[in-house]
Amino acid sequence: MIRRLYKLFPNKSVIVRLTVLHVFRALLEGILLGVLVPILNCLLQPQPDFQSIKIWLIIGGIGFLCYLVLTVISSPIGFGASMKLAEQLRNDVMNRVTRLPLGWFTSDKKAKLARIITADTGLIAQLAVTIGAPAIIAVLVPSTIIVVTFFINWKIAVLFLAVMPVALVVLRWTGNIAAEAAIKLEEAATNIAGKAIELGQAQTVLRAAGKGTEGTVQLQQTLDKHRIVYRKGLKRSTLPDLTYTGVVIAGFVAVILSVTFLFIHQSVSIPEAIVLFILAVRFLEPLAYLIELNGALRAMDNAINRVQELLQTPTLPMAKYPVTDIKNASIQIENITFAYGQNPVIENVSFHCPQGSTTALIGASGSGKTTLIRLIARFYDVNNGAIKIGGTDIRQLDYNTMMNDIAIIFQDVYLFDTTIKENLLIAKPDATEAELKEAATAAQLDEMLERLPNGWNTKTGESGLQLSGGERQRVSIARAFLKKARIILIDEAASALDPENEQAISKAIANIASDKNRTVIIIAHRPATIQSANQVIVLDKGKVVENGSPQDLLNQNGHYAKFLQQHQQRKEWKVEG
Amino acid sequence: MSLKSTDKHQNSPNHTADSTKLMSTKALTRLLSPVKNYLIAGCILAFLGSALGLAPYIAIAEIAKLIFKNPDTSSQTIWLWVGIGIVGAFLRLVLLFFSSRVGHVADAEILHKIRVRIVRHLGTMPLGWFRAKGSGVIKKVMTTDLEEMHQLIAHSLREMIGAVTAIAVSIGYLWVVNWQMTLISVAVLLTMYVSFRIAMRSVTTHMNRLINAETKISTSAVEYADGITVVKTFGVGGRLLSRFDNAVKEHTNAFKIWVSETQYSSAISRMFASEVTLLGVLTITGLGFISNGTLTVPDFLPFLIVGIGLPTAIVPAIHGSQGLRKGRLSASNIETVLLQDVIPESNNSQEPQEYSVAFHKVSFAYSENNDVIKDISFECPQGTVTALVGRSGSGKSTLTHLLPRFYDVRQGSITIGGIDIRQMSSEKLLGSMSLVFQDIVLLRDTVRENIRIANPDATDEDIIKATKSAYIHEVIEQLPQGYDTVLGTGNIGLSGGEQQRLTIARAMLSDAPIVVLDEATASLDPDNEVLVQRALSSLVKNKTVIMIAHRLYTISNAHQIIVLQEGTIAEKGTHQQLLNNQSLYATMWEAQVIQC
Ligand SMILES: Nc1ncnc2c1ncn2[C@@H]1O[C@H](COP(=O)(O)OP(=O)(O)OP(=O)(O)O)[C@@H](O)[C@H]1O
Ligand SMILES: Nc1ncnc2c1ncn2[C@@H]1O[C@H](COP(=O)(O)OP(=O)(O)OP(=O)(O)O)[C@@H](O)[C@H]1O
Ligand SMILES: [Mg+2]
Ligand SMILES: [Mg+2]
Repeated sequence: MIRRLYKLFPNKSVIVRLTVLHVFRALLEGILLGVLVPILNCLLQPQPDFQSIKIWLIIGGIGFLCYLVLTVISSPIGFGASMKLAEQLRNDVMNRVTRLPLGWFTSDKKAKLARIITADTGLIAQLAVTIGAPAIIAVLVPSTIIVVTFFINWKIAVLFLAVMPVALVVLRWTGNIAAEAAIKLEEAATNIAGKAIELGQAQTVLRAAGKGTEGTVQLQQTLDKHRIVYRKGLKRSTLPDLTYTGVVIAGFVAVILSVTFLFIHQSVSIPEAIVLFILAVRFLEPLAYLIELNGALRAMDNAINRVQELLQTPTLPMAKYPVTDIKNASIQIENITFAYGQNPVIENVSFHCPQGSTTALIGASGSGKTTLIRLIARFYDVNNGAIKIGGTDIRQLDYNTMMNDIAIIFQDVYLFDTTIKENLLIAKPDATEAELKEAATAAQLDEMLERLPNGWNTKTGESGLQLSGGERQRVSIARAFLKKARIILIDEAASALDPENEQAISKAIANIASDKNRTVIIIAHRPATIQSANQVIVLDKGKVVENGSPQDLLNQNGHYAKFLQQHQQRKEWKVEG
Repeated sequence: MSLKSTDKHQNSPNHTADSTKLMSTKALTRLLSPVKNYLIAGCILAFLGSALGLAPYIAIAEIAKLIFKNPDTSSQTIWLWVGIGIVGAFLRLVLLFFSSRVGHVADAEILHKIRVRIVRHLGTMPLGWFRAKGSGVIKKVMTTDLEEMHQLIAHSLREMIGAVTAIAVSIGYLWVVNWQMTLISVAVLLTMYVSFRIAMRSVTTHMNRLINAETKISTSAVEYADGITVVKTFGVGGRLLSRFDNAVKEHTNAFKIWVSETQYSSAISRMFASEVTLLGVLTITGLGFISNGTLTVPDFLPFLIVGIGLPTAIVPAIHGSQGLRKGRLSASNIETVLLQDVIPESNNSQEPQEYSVAFHKVSFAYSENNDVIKDISFECPQGTVTALVGRSGSGKSTLTHLLPRFYDVRQGSITIGGIDIRQMSSEKLLGSMSLVFQDIVLLRDTVRENIRIANPDATDEDIIKATKSAYIHEVIEQLPQGYDTVLGTGNIGLSGGEQQRLTIARAMLSDAPIVVLDEATASLDPDNEVLVQRALSSLVKNKTVIMIAHRLYTISNAHQIIVLQEGTIAEKGTHQQLLNNQSLYATMWEAQVIQC
C-alpha cells in the first residue's frame, strides 16, 4: 500500500521529508521515555540522588525541545502535502475520464466516479498525511522501548519482542478480513448511489406505474442487499477487531504476571520491577492504539485501490506521434466493422464524403446511423477497417485537433446545468456577441430568448430539463452552429420542433451545408433535406445497401424509392377517435 | 469505517452555530428514536467497559506503590492486585464486544429504515423538486449523510462515552493519590482543549466553504460524465473542464485559508495533546513536589503509569465529538428532505365513473409571476382525441404534466369524470392513464421489468403482445439475453427509435382509459413510424386521448385541435375549421406542406 501511495504522490520529496520528520519524532519519543529509566533509578533509591537526576533532566529537556520543534514544523508540511495530493489526484482522475471510450459511461460507473472524485481522493489526501505520523509512532515507540528494556532485564525484553510480531500478524489478519467486508460494503453503497440517482430521474415513470412510493423492485433489492452485506460485514469485522484487542490484553497479562513472578522470586530489584511496569504500560499502549489506525489504513487502502483502478482503465489508444494538421475536411470510410458487444452493428461499410459535400444517411431505426456518427467522432474505435479525415487515419490524429474540426448535433440532446448562454459558449469560449447572435438567429433561438423572462441567462436545469423539448433542441443546434467546424455531423435535428421552426432550421442547415469548405453528414428524415444532398447512403442492418445521388437512387427504384413512398404513406395516417 | 487521526483535528466540523446545533440535535434524536434502547444499552456497556479497562493500569500502579513502600509486601496481596487487573481486562473485552454488537445491530436496523423512509417520501413529493434540485441531493442524502449517521451510531457515540469515562475515572483515581499533581495534569489537558477550541473557532464558515467546493467538484464531475459526448465534441480541456478545475482550486484555497488561520493554535493544541509533553511536565513538577515534600515517591508512580496515558483517551474523545457533530449535520440534511412538502392527498378520495377530462380556468407557473399556462379551459369527452399543437415552448408538455399531478395547478382545476384530480388517490389517478412522454426514461433493469413497470400484474405473454404491437419484439429478441438483458450496462444500448418504441410498448401494456402522448413518434424513421402509427391506432381506440404532435397531418382527424400560444388557447376546433380560420394553425400547416 505504501508503495502504491507513494506512486500516486505528485511531489515525492515532500513525502520523504515528512516521513523522515516523523521517524525522528517517534525515535525522540522513545528515547525520552528511556531517559525516564535512569531518573527513576536515582529516585527509587532509599536516598534519592537529585544530583544525577539533574543531568538526566537537562538531557531530557533538550530532547523535549527538539521534539516540540519537530511537532510544530511538521504540521504545515503535512497540510501542504495533503492539499497538493488531493488537487493532483482529482485532476488525474478527470483527465483520465476525458479519454475513456463512450462505452465506459454507464450509470453505475458515473456513480463510482462521483464517489472517487470527492470522497476517495479526499480521504487518501487526508489520511496519507494524518495517519502517517501516528502509525510511525505506534510502531517505533514500542521498538525503542524494547531496546531500552534489554538494558534492564533481557527476559522481559524478549517477552516484549515476542508480543510485538504476534500483535502485528494478528493485526494484518484482521485487516484483511475487515478489508474484504469494507470492499463489499463499498460496492453496495455505490449501487445505492446509482439507484438513488435513477430514482430521481425516473420519478415520472415510477409514478405513472404507481410505484412512486416503493421504488422499483431493483431498488428494493439493492436496499435489502445492502442491509445483508452490511450486517455480514459488521459481524465479520467486529470479531477480528476484538481479537486484536484480546491479543494486546493477553500481552499485558503476560507482562504483569512475569514481572510479578520475577519480582517475587527476587530476580529483579524493586526499582527494576517498577521501571519495568512503567515501560510495559508505555510499550503496550501504542500497540493497542494501532487497531484504531487499522480502520483508517483499511479505508485508505480501499480508496487507493478504487482510484488506481480508474486511473488504469484503458483509454482509447492515442498515437505516439499524433498528426496535428488536418489537410482537408474530406471523410473516407474504408470497409469498417464495429460491434458494441458480440454482434456487429456496422459491417463492411465504405463510402467517401469529399470536402464540401453533403451526405444524407437514411435507414430503418436501429440500422446503425447514430453508431456511424459516433465512430466518425471516435467515441469508439472501429474493430476493422479505417476512418480517415483529410486522408489521415483518425487514430493517428491528435484528438483535440480532430475535435476542433467537428461539430455534432445529437439525437439525445444534453445541456449542462447552467444558463443558455454558457451552454453555447462551451462550443466557443471566446465567441463575440455578434457570433452568438448569429448562431442564435440561425437556430431560431431569438423567439425564445425574447419570450423567456431571463433571456440569455435562463437557467437550463439539470440536463436541460427546465426547457421545453424544442427549446432544448434549438440550444443544442445553436451550440453546433457557433462552433463553425469544418465537419458537421447531424443526427435527426429538428425532430421535436413545430413545423415553422423546423422549416427555418432546415434552411439554416442547408445554408451551412452550402459552404464549399464544409463537409456535412446528416441523418435525415425529411425528403426535402435528403433531396438536396450530394449523395445518399442507405443503411440496412449495418450494411450499405444503396449509395448514390438522390436522382440516381430514385431511378434505381430500390430502398430509397421505397423510403420516399413510405414517407408519403405515413402522412396519410391519422389518429381516429 | 472508523477513521482516526491524531494530527488533524482541524479537518472536521467542530461546532456549528448554536441555533442550528439545537435543531440538528433534535433532528438526530427524532431520527434515531426507533433504536433508542439499543443505543442506550450500547452506551452503558461502553461506559462499564471503559471504566473496567482501567483496572489493569490501576493494579500495576498499586503494585508499584506497594512494593516500593514495603519491600516485604506479602505475595498474596500482590497476586490479589494482579487478579484484579486481569479480571478487569477480561471484563472490558467482553463488555466492549457486546457494546459494539448492540451498536451495529442498531446501526443496520435504523439505516435501512431511514433509507426506506426516504424512498417512500420521494415518491410523494412534487415532481418540480426533482427537476430543480435533482438527483444530486438524493444521492448525497442516501449515501454520504447516511454514512455519517453510521459513523455516529456504530462508532462515535460509544467511542466518546468510553473516552470520557476513561478520562474521568483516571482523574478520579489520581485525585485520590495526590490532588496537586492531578491539578497540574488537568491544567495541561485544559490548555490543550482551549487551544483546540481556538483553532476550531471559525470552523463552521470553513467547513461550509469546503463542503460547497466539494459539492461543486462532485456535480461538475458527474455532469461532465453525463454529457460526455457533448464534452468530447465541444469542450475537451476547455470551458467545461475549467468548471471542474475551479471547483478543485476553490477547495484547495478554502483549505489553505483555514490552515493558515489556525496554524499556531493548532500547533499548540497538538503539542499539548502529546504524551511526551505530559511526560515532561509530570516528571519535572513531580520531582519538584517530591523535593519540597508535597509528593511522596510512591505516589508519584501512578502518574507515570496512568497519568501519561491521559492524552490517548483524548484523541478518541475529540473524534467522537466530531463524529457527533457531523452526524447531527447529516441528520438535519436527511430531515430536510423528509420534511419537504408532499403533494397533498385528500382524505376521502373519490373515484370517477367515466373518463372524460376537463381543464377549468387553469393557470400554472414554474416560478413566481411567470405563468406558463394562463387561464386555460377545455373539455375532452370520453373516447375522443384532443390534439395539442403550438410552437415550441407554448406550454403543451406542461399542460400534460398537470394531468398526472406532477405539478399542481396554481389556479383553477382539472377534473376526470367530473371529479377534481386532487380528490382522487394518486394510485387511482395514475392508474387511469398511460403516459408516453418526450423525455424517455429507461431504468437500469431488465427489458422485461422496464416494460412491466407499466402494469406489474402483466404476464410474459401480455408483455410480448405489447412489444409486438410496438414493433420492438424482434429487436429485444436479438439482445444478448433477450428480455432478461439489463439495459444501460456496458455494451448494451438501444437506438433512439428503439427506446421510443419501448416506451410505447409500456403504454400498450397498461391499457388505461386515458392516453397521453407527447410526440410519441418524433424520433422514428418513416419505415417504423408507419408501423408504430398502426399500433398507436389500436392503443387509442375508445380511449380519451390527449396528444401532442408536431407533424400536423397525423392529427388532422382529431375531434378537436387546441392551438396553444404562449400559454393561452389561440384557436380551437377541427382541422377544417382551423384551416378556414386562416390564422395560426393555417400558417403552421402551410409550413409543413412546404417541408415535404
Ligand atoms: N450504446 C450501445 N450499446 C450497445 N448497443 C447499442 C448501443 N447503441 C445502439 N446499440 C445497438 O446498435 C444498433 C444500431 O443503433 P443506432 O443507434 O446506430 O441506430 P440508428 O440507426 O441511429 O437508429 P434510430 O433511427 O432508432 O436512432 C441497434 O440495434 C442498437 O440496439
Ligand atoms: N421544469 C421547468 N422549470 C421552469 N420552466 C420550465 C420547465 N419546464 C418548461 N419550462 C418552460 O415553460 C415553457 C413551456 O414549456 P413546455 O415544455 O410546456 O413547452 P412545449 O409546448 O411542450 O414545447 P415543445 O414543443 O418545445 O416541447 C417553456 O418556456 C419552458 O422554458
Ligand atoms: Mg439514432
Ligand atoms: Mg414539449
